[in-house]
Amino acid sequence: MTGIVIEGVARTFGTVRAVDGVNLTIGEGEFFTLLGPSGCGKTTLLRMIAGFCDLDAGQIRFGTKRIDTLPAHTRDIGMVFQNYAVFPNLAVAGNVAYGLKARKVSAAEVAHRVEEALSLVQLGGYGERWPHQLSGGQLQRVAIARALVIRPQVLLFDEPLSNLDARLRVSMRAEIRELQKSLGITAIYVTHDQEEAMSVSDRIALMQSGKLEQVGAPAEIYRNPASRFAAEFMGTTNLLEPKVLGLSGAAMISLRPEALRLDAEAPAGWPRLSGVVAHVEILGPITRFDVRLGDGSLIRVASLDEPHRTLATGAQVTLAYDRARVTVLP
Amino acid sequence: MILTIPHQQRLPLAIAALGFLFLGLFLLYPLFNVFSASVLDGEGEKFTFANYVKILGRPFYRGAVANTLMIGVVATLTTIVVSVPFAFALARLPVPGKAAIIALAAMPLVLPSFVSAYAIVLLLGRAGVVTQWLNSWGIGFGSIYGAGGIILVYTLTLYPYVLLPTMAGFKAVDVSIEEAAQSLGSSPRRALWTVTLPIVVPSILAGGLLVFIETLENFGVPFVLAEDMPIFAVEAFKLFVGETAPNPSSAGVLGVLLILMTSLVLLIQRRFLANRRFATGARSAPPILKVGLGLRIAATIYCWSVVLLALVPFFAIVVLSFMEFRGPVLHPNFSTANFAALFERSTRPLLNTLMFATLAAIGVTLIGVPIAYVVTRLRSGLAAVLDVLATLPFAVAGTVLAIGFVVSFNSGWLILTGGPFIMVLAYTVRKIPFAVRSSSGILHQIDPSLEEASISLGRSPLQTFGRILVPLMLGGIMSGFVLTWVTIASELSATVVLYSGQWRTLTVVMFQALEGGGGGIATAAASTLIVVTLVPIALLYRLIRRYELAS
Ligand SMILES: Nc1ncnc2c1ncn2[C@@H]1O[C@H](COP(=O)(O)OP(=O)(O)OP(=O)(O)O)[C@@H](O)[C@H]1O
Ligand SMILES: [Mg+2]
Repeated sequence: MTGIVIEGVARTFGTVRAVDGVNLTIGEGEFFTLLGPSGCGKTTLLRMIAGFCDLDAGQIRFGTKRIDTLPAHTRDIGMVFQNYAVFPNLAVAGNVAYGLKARKVSAAEVAHRVEEALSLVQLGGYGERWPHQLSGGQLQRVAIARALVIRPQVLLFDEPLSNLDARLRVSMRAEIRELQKSLGITAIYVTHDQEEAMSVSDRIALMQSGKLEQVGAPAEIYRNPASRFAAEFMGTTNLLEPKVLGLSGAAMISLRPEALRLDAEAPAGWPRLSGVVAHVEILGPITRFDVRLGDGSLIRVASLDEPHRTLATGAQVTLAYDRARVTVLP
Repeated sequence: MILTIPHQQRLPLAIAALGFLFLGLFLLYPLFNVFSASVLDGEGEKFTFANYVKILGRPFYRGAVANTLMIGVVATLTTIVVSVPFAFALARLPVPGKAAIIALAAMPLVLPSFVSAYAIVLLLGRAGVVTQWLNSWGIGFGSIYGAGGIILVYTLTLYPYVLLPTMAGFKAVDVSIEEAAQSLGSSPRRALWTVTLPIVVPSILAGGLLVFIETLENFGVPFVLAEDMPIFAVEAFKLFVGETAPNPSSAGVLGVLLILMTSLVLLIQRRFLANRRFATGARSAPPILKVGLGLRIAATIYCWSVVLLALVPFFAIVVLSFMEFRGPVLHPNFSTANFAALFERSTRPLLNTLMFATLAAIGVTLIGVPIAYVVTRLRSGLAAVLDVLATLPFAVAGTVLAIGFVVSFNSGWLILTGGPFIMVLAYTVRKIPFAVRSSSGILHQIDPSLEEASISLGRSPLQTFGRILVPLMLGGIMSGFVLTWVTIASELSATVVLYSGQWRTLTVVMFQALEGGGGGIATAAASTLIVVTLVPIALLYRLIRRYELAS
């Protein structure tokens, strides 16, 4: 168990600055997520830690030990790949035992630890199966067991759930988080799915174009986005000119859809706005609707389902918003 | 210095260094010596272009250039004409026995083509079995010696080079593309001509260029059939054997010219065809067309005729080898005397053939597979250079490489002439391109993240290569090994330059029997060669079948 220090790390491919001067300190046992749009450099940064990508500048340390100069196979890292990368020429037990054998662990202990790791990922008794006999979710569990069983200093995940179907994604991410916490291994997790990132992480680093945009706890970034990009990437938001809400100043403001309510459902102290309903979507637990204000700007609203409410396109409505949840962006 | 090389590149770089060393010593160095022989005077001292002037000034050698190119072009066209309808029939028409046809159609690629040429002589030559039979009916036909016979044999033995990729091309055309053309108003026939055929053209051309290069380099077929007609590879051999001066300058000139021609063709292929693959990523294979009974019967007869016709010469040789020869004259009595004559003097040639093929196939695998690994995994200019270098032997005729070997290794610090290893090394170099091609094909299919997974679990890149890549490639490596082995066993063009004394192979025995007119021994050697070729192939088929059934 170790903390990770990333200092001034950079890498350029041709003209693309894939990773552009990143500084990060990740705590012991922390579940840390790199989040960002496609091509922002998450995978590159992760592969630098794993040892599959060279640094142009900077250094990476596990605790006090510098590791970016070590060969990949000596870094003591457990990595889980997007496409599982389960060895097709080995049975499940052979896959999980692979790293232990590389570490010359005795045969008796290998057998014991493999069985232990497999039951940890709920695959007890699957040791004799071949990879082609397993489903995607089971393959990903094998890959996780294989990475855990070596008791690595650090666990790395590169979009481990993106090849699974939506329901499995939700249950597996909870499992991964639970496993990581129970073993206490420092983990870095890469995803471009904002909801997934928020559900598993202790902290998130939001990346864009190779740079860190904002680092913080999920709720912290969601509630106090430091930039327009952060506000938009972390869920849906309304980006408005201050004068729409009758405020002054030049900076844009962000107002989350759930910070708005219909007049009748809102506390009395909230400021009011009026407009015409432009579009309604009833998604089940929540209802989303757009309201066009008098000055022409469109505001997105989200509220919990309410059986007695009727909302029709074209109807005149009055909205109220929570002044405390207005974020002024720099 | 070593510290500045990134860890994950050390293994590929080390392999690349060894690859450059091997190919430098056993490919570039001999070729360089052929080149310098061609630009030095007879004593090997002064630089001169006189040799080129001398050779190209002789109508005989200009004729050799013209004949070789003409035969190559015509044979390429005939193989294309034969193969494209064949490929279409196999891909799209209801022809019975397709699996058998495809298996049989691949056979000429591994069977020795000069054996086919020799069979043609025995059947249709001046004293041929068929010729005499027809003559007894008062029917005559033109001579099969010279260009006509050579082109016939090339067509029969090289057509699979066009057939197989073209068939794959026809199958890879996504059905939706034809459907799109039809929905835009094309008749099915017009869609075929305007959409499907153009998509397949790169495959046809790629196959055709392979045929062309093979014809330029081939030594055995013209040696058997050309008679008085000068052909490049044969004349280079004759010049080299006949040259008494210390510097084989005339043979060197022909060698350089031959390499120039083949490299030019190869360059054209790389330049214009490499990126012109209209892969349409067929999700749904195109349907077998519904056609009338007449076309169906015609297609069936056509496919089976081509396949069988190409194999008839080999079959005939086996039959003839069990008949009585008195000198070159054949008598229709069953006899095992030819085999007795072949083996009573010595079984060494057979043993040599088996031993050389095994050693060289091991060498090819041990060198070709790691080079393929570098070429597919190392992203750098170095890998591209290695790739070109490993493809180069393909552009070098066996005769020319062998001449280079003799010139390079008959004196100095490394003397190989007169021994067995010079042959094994020449075979190894000649077959490396095939091993590199087939292995890199397999490696492209293996996800690099498997290697990364292994490395991150604590195995070094070298251990990862042995424990993950080699097992995953094993099936492909094994079939590659068998195919290499088989083609080495029937190698002729480098062998006839390099053999000596006790290191004769079966092909040398056949070659000498042909020169000396010993038809009996020649047929027996040819039959033995056919068996030596077919047994491993049959075993490989069985192994693959069993493997497929098991999994
Ligand atoms: N080996 C490479 N050679 C050249 N460019 C590369 C290489 N690897 C990454 N890049 C470039 O670097 C940038 C960052 O790539 P990276 O794979 O880290 O993105 P990512 O954030 O993981 O994206 P995704 O969510 O799509 O996986 C991209 O512009 C990519 O094209
Ligand atoms: Mg990525």
